[in-house]
Amino acid sequence: MFDYTFQWKQVLARLPKMLDGAMVTMEVAVLSMLIGIVLAIVLTVMRRSGSRPLAAFATTWVEVARNTPALFQIYMAHFGIASFGIHFSPFTSLLIGITFNNAGYLAENFRGALKAIPETQTRAGRSLGMTSSQSFRFIILPQMLRIAFLPMTNQMVWAILMTSLGVTVGMNTDLYGVTQDLNALTFRTFELFAIAGVIFYIITKVITLGARLAAARLFRY
Amino acid sequence: MKKFALTAVLLATTGLAGAAQADKLDDIIASGKLRCAVVLDFPPMGMRDNNNEPIGFDVDYCNDLAAALGVEAEIVETPFPERIPALMSGRVDVGVASTSDTLERAKTVGFTVPYFAFDMAVTANSESGIDSFEAMKGHTVGAVAGTYEAIALEEYVNAWGEGSTFRPYQTQADVFLALSQGQLDATVSTSTVAQATVKSDNFNGIEVVGKAPFDIDYVALFTRRDEYGFLNYLNLFVNQQVRTGRYEELYEKWIGGELPDLTVQGVYR
Repeated sequence: MFDYTFQWKQVLARLPKMLDGAMVTMEVAVLSMLIGIVLAIVLTVMRRSGSRPLAAFATTWVEVARNTPALFQIYMAHFGIASFGIHFSPFTSLLIGITFNNAGYLAENFRGALKAIPETQTRAGRSLGMTSSQSFRFIILPQMLRIAFLPMTNQMVWAILMTSLGVTVGMNTDLYGVTQDLNALTFRTFELFAIAGVIFYIITKVITLGARLAAARLFRY
Repeated sequence: MKKFALTAVLLATTGLAGAAQADKLDDIIASGKLRCAVVLDFPPMGMRDNNNEPIGFDVDYCNDLAAALGVEAEIVETPFPERIPALMSGRVDVGVASTSDTLERAKTVGFTVPYFAFDMAVTANSESGIDSFEAMKGHTVGAVAGTYEAIALEEYVNAWGEGSTFRPYQTQADVFLALSQGQLDATVSTSTVAQATVKSDNFNGIEVVGKAPFDIDYVALFTRRDEYGFLNYLNLFVNQQVRTGRYEELYEKWIGGELPDLTVQGVYR
């Protein structure tokens, strides 16, 4: 049934444009991870703070981020917030949506990581004269980030793949957006998306392998 | 005996050859079903009624085509970007999907003669102060990704340079939502869509402010590029629709007003 003649030449001429798109995709993913990690740490601290409103806020964030589709979160960042008269560009909307999602998932990762660190370490820190926040920052936090390192890599990969949802909010500079633009122009759907798929695969593979190497070097005891 | 063997061989080979040569047109007639790719997010060409049933110009056109072929029509909803994958993967036989017949696309699929023609209107957010196509320069404008008007508008925006931004959205509804929210200052769409949307009262604060200076957007039916038999049939069908007055009838039913001419002055086809 599927007899289609692939025309690679026509499509490979557009490869530079797609690689530019891949750079934008990386930019969104990296930014969303950096901000997401900071926010996730804040959320984790809020949940441990013992303050009810803060804990409730953090729990709500995590619940919404983890239990609604990423597409919904990105769509809301663009069209939802705009109904209050605040307008974000597609890039910003996409970044907000993915960062929101990242922060929620990472906060859960961090919670799990914290469970793996014995409570006695905090007490040991306190008995050495550290304040509660010092013992968290210098003893618990570094270990937490170490334990959560590979799950964080996972989330980074997920962030890369989520950038493809940007087209719903008018994004046309990322890898997926560029691919779709070119598709409309040429109708060379299968070639274009095959190339996009390969680029996505290479990016995520490099990230996972890189992270594994980095982990092996960084976390030697 | 020899004669019998020869006849048997002849019969077998013609049988085989016959089977191998059955083209798309034969397949459709044999299967008793015509599957059309139709975009149902593009009123009044394709949309859904209150019972969620597909209706519109393109839907009627597909039904007419199926009736002419003596088969049953099946409407397969395909968003704009999915028209070609649907055709290539064999999920549909023909696209009745308001598809602009660009030369770039014709390298991939086979187009018929035009079966409809659009002109393009500018719709603006009332607060943007845009009152013509030229006034869009320096603003954020958008259109539905993958459409003729989006491709044309993006070229203009690139030529306008700094300050002008182009944003494609996935659906016509998203474009008008963004426009009424003020995320877009103006959009270019087919004038049929623009009129229908502004009239619908679904979106506030938008108005049709003028025409876009694009070439007339001729749209054609499409099928696989190598299906000459079927393309031939489709071309004749488009011709007959006009000849019998059915085209005018459908135009009056769904759009109304002055009937667009489907011929180009001064050249064949």
